[in-house]
Amino acid sequence: MSILAYNGGCVVAMRGKDCVAIATDRRFGVQAQTIETDFEKVFQFNPRMFVGLVGLQTDILTVRDRLMFRKNLYETRENREMQPARFAAMLSSFLYEHRFGPYFIEPVIAGLDPKTLEPFICNMDLIGCPNVPDDFVVAGTCGEQLYGMCETLWKPDLEPNQLFEVISQAMINAFDRDAISGWGATVYIIEKDKITVKTLKTRMD
Amino acid sequence: MALAEICNISDAPYMKMRNFTTSDLEQESQRYVSNLMNPYVLQAPPFENPVENLNKIQASSDKTGIKIEFDHGTTTLGFKYKGGVILAVDSRATGGQFIGSQTMKKIVEINQFLLGTLAGGAADCVYWDRVLAKECRLHELRNKERISVAAASKIMANIAHEYKGMGLSMGMMLAGYDKRGPGLYYVDSEGSRTPGNVFSVGSGSIYAFGVLDSGYHWDLEDEAAQELGRRAIYHATYRDAYSGGIVRVYHMTPNGWINISNTDCMELHYKYEEEKKNKKH
Amino acid sequence: MNFMGIEQFPDYKVPGTQHQDFSPYESNGGSIVAIAGDDYVVIAADTRLSSGYTIHTRKQNKLFQLSGKTVLGSTGCWCDTLALTALVKARMQMYEHTHLKTMSTDAIAQMLSIIMYNKRFFPYYVSNVLAGLDNEGKGVVYSYDPIGHCERATYRAGGSAGALLQPVLDNQIGFKNMQLDGEIPKVSKDRAVAIATDTFISAAERDIYTGDAVCINIITKDGIEVKEVQLRKD
Repeated sequence: MSILAYNGGCVVAMRGKDCVAIATDRRFGVQAQTIETDFEKVFQFNPRMFVGLVGLQTDILTVRDRLMFRKNLYETRENREMQPARFAAMLSSFLYEHRFGPYFIEPVIAGLDPKTLEPFICNMDLIGCPNVPDDFVVAGTCGEQLYGMCETLWKPDLEPNQLFEVISQAMINAFDRDAISGWGATVYIIEKDKITVKTLKTRMD
Repeated sequence: MALAEICNISDAPYMKMRNFTTSDLEQESQRYVSNLMNPYVLQAPPFENPVENLNKIQASSDKTGIKIEFDHGTTTLGFKYKGGVILAVDSRATGGQFIGSQTMKKIVEINQFLLGTLAGGAADCVYWDRVLAKECRLHELRNKERISVAAASKIMANIAHEYKGMGLSMGMMLAGYDKRGPGLYYVDSEGSRTPGNVFSVGSGSIYAFGVLDSGYHWDLEDEAAQELGRRAIYHATYRDAYSGGIVRVYHMTPNGWINISNTDCMELHYKYEEEKKNKKH
Repeated sequence: MNFMGIEQFPDYKVPGTQHQDFSPYESNGGSIVAIAGDDYVVIAADTRLSSGYTIHTRKQNKLFQLSGKTVLGSTGCWCDTLALTALVKARMQMYEHTHLKTMSTDAIAQMLSIIMYNKRFFPYYVSNVLAGLDNEGKGVVYSYDPIGHCERATYRAGGSAGALLQPVLDNQIGFKNMQLDGEIPKVSKDRAVAIATDTFISAAERDIYTGDAVCINIITKDGIEVKEVQLRKD
C-alpha cells in the first residue's frame, strides 16, 4: 500500500462564478481501521483562502504548521495579505526543497484574490508541481472517482448554492466508492463577502 | 480392457469410439472448461507454486498497471444460543480499496437447513459453496435424509485441504439445524474445521467480537439475539473500512432459516446515534 | 530460463545482459458501462485498443453479441478476452445443439462464472460486464471479477475507467445521496443512453485508455440496436 494512502482521505476544490468551494472528508484512519471521524483536512490560512492537505496525517499537521509560519512571516514583513497565487508558489518551492525526502501530502488550494477577488484553485503533487486549471482540482485516495464525478457534474459559472450542490454530490458519491475515505464531509463556500461552512450527513461505513 | 488401457491402445485412432456425442472438438473444448463436467477439476497453472507467482503478478501491479484484484474484505459472525443459530454479515466487496459492490450477498443459502457465510475471496467461497450445495443435495437423494452440518462442513474442509497451498482464500461458517440440534462450524482455506458457539470471521471480526462477547449468553431471547448480531456487524462496519453496506441477519430455527432483516448501515448509524442521545437525557 | 521470476533451470549467464521478468499479462484498456431498465438494457464500450502509450486501433468493438438478447462487454488483456469469448460462444453453440434452445441470459451468466473460475490459478485478466434480458424480459446486468465472482445489478461500470464511472452511475442511475421524496424514479431508455454517452465523454477526458468512439448496444424485446458516438481522439 502506498504511504499516501496510509491514512486515507480526499479533498476537492471547484471554481464557480465569483466564488470557490473546497470540500473534505472527515476520516482519520490507519489503513483499514477508522480512528477518528472529525479530522478535517482543510485549513483556513487567510480570510478568503483555504488549503486542503491529504496524505500522511503526520505530514499534514507538520506542513500545515510550517506553512502557517512562512505565511505569517511574509505577511509581517510585507504588511499585506498573501494572495493565493503567491501562496501556491511558496508551497511549491517549500515542497521542492524536500525533493529527495518529500512530505507525503498532496495539497489543494482554494481562495479568492484579496484585491481582485478573482477565484483561484490549485493542486500539486507531493514535490510541488503546481496545476492551476479553471474548473476543479482533486486530491486523495479516491481521486479517480472524484475526477469522474466532477467531470460529469461541473459546469462553468455556477452560482454559490449550485456550486455547493455540485461539490457535495461529487464528494459524497466519490468517497462512497472508496473504502478509506468518507465518514462525514465538510464543504466551505468562499464568496467575496462571506464564508459558508456546511457539514454533510453521509454514510458512516 | 485393462491391458489395452495400460498399453495406451485406446489412444490409437482406430480404437476411438465413434458416436455423435463425443467428437474430438468436444473433447478439446472440454479441456478448457473441465470444471463444467466435474467441478473439482480446475485448470493447472502453467507455472509452479501458484501462491507465490500469482502474488508476484499482483504485487507488480504498480509497475505494469495490471491490477488483478479479487473482491475481498468482510465482517461475518455467527453464534449458537438457545433459539438456534444467528448469522449476521455485511455486504461490501472491495477490490483493493475500491468498493466494487455494496450489496453483495455474503450468506449463501445452501438449502433450507444449511447456510454458509463467506469471507475472503468472493469467487472462491461462492464457487465452492455451490459445489457443496450439489453434494448436499446428492447426499439427500442417496440417503433419504438431510445431511448433518458436521458432514457438510467436512466436505468443505476436504475441498479446502485438497487445494491447500494453491492460494485459495476462504473463511466460512456453516450453520444448520439437524438431528443433533443447531450446528455451527468454522471452515477455512487452510483446511481447519472446528465446531463452536461464537465465531466471527473477516477483516472487521475483531470489532464484531468486542460487541458480541460483551452481549452474548446462551439464554438470549430471539429478538435480543438478532439485535446483538446486527449491532455487532454495525460496529464493525463503522470501524473497519473494508466492511459496510447492508447488515443482513439470518436466523436458523428448527424449521429452517429465516431472513430476519436487511438494513442499510446508514439507517442503523443514525438510529443508534439517536438512541445514544436519548439515553444521555 | 527465467519464467515469471522463477529460475527454472540454470542459464548460461552472459555478463552485462539484463533479465526481464516474464509478465504474462498486458493491459489493453477500454471501459464498459451497462444500465438495465424494466424492459431494456443498454451496454456501451469505447472502441480504443491500446497498450501502454500506443494505440493499436481506434475501431475495436468490445461488445460481443452472444444471443438475440445477451451482450457481453469485455476488456482487460485483449488476448484473454478473445480466448474467453470464443470459448463462451462455442459452449453456447453446443448448448443450442443439445437442448435445441438458446441459452438464457441467466444461464450464460452462471456459465461464464464457472468458465472463469476454471482458470482460478492463472486467471483471465478481464473485466466482464454481461447485459441482457432475463426470462421475464427485464433488463439485467452481471458484473465479474477476474476469477468469476458474479453479481447481479441494475447498473455497472467496468474496465480501465470503471472507478471514474461507477460513482457517476450511483448518482445518476441509482439516485444515491439524493434527497428524494418517496420512490426512486425509473430511468427511461433514452435517459440511460444519454447517461451512458455522457459518462464516456467524461471518462475520455481523464482516462488515456478510453476514447475514440463509444459503441452502444440497446437491447429490447425487438432486438439489438447499435449506435456509435464519437469521443476525443487524443
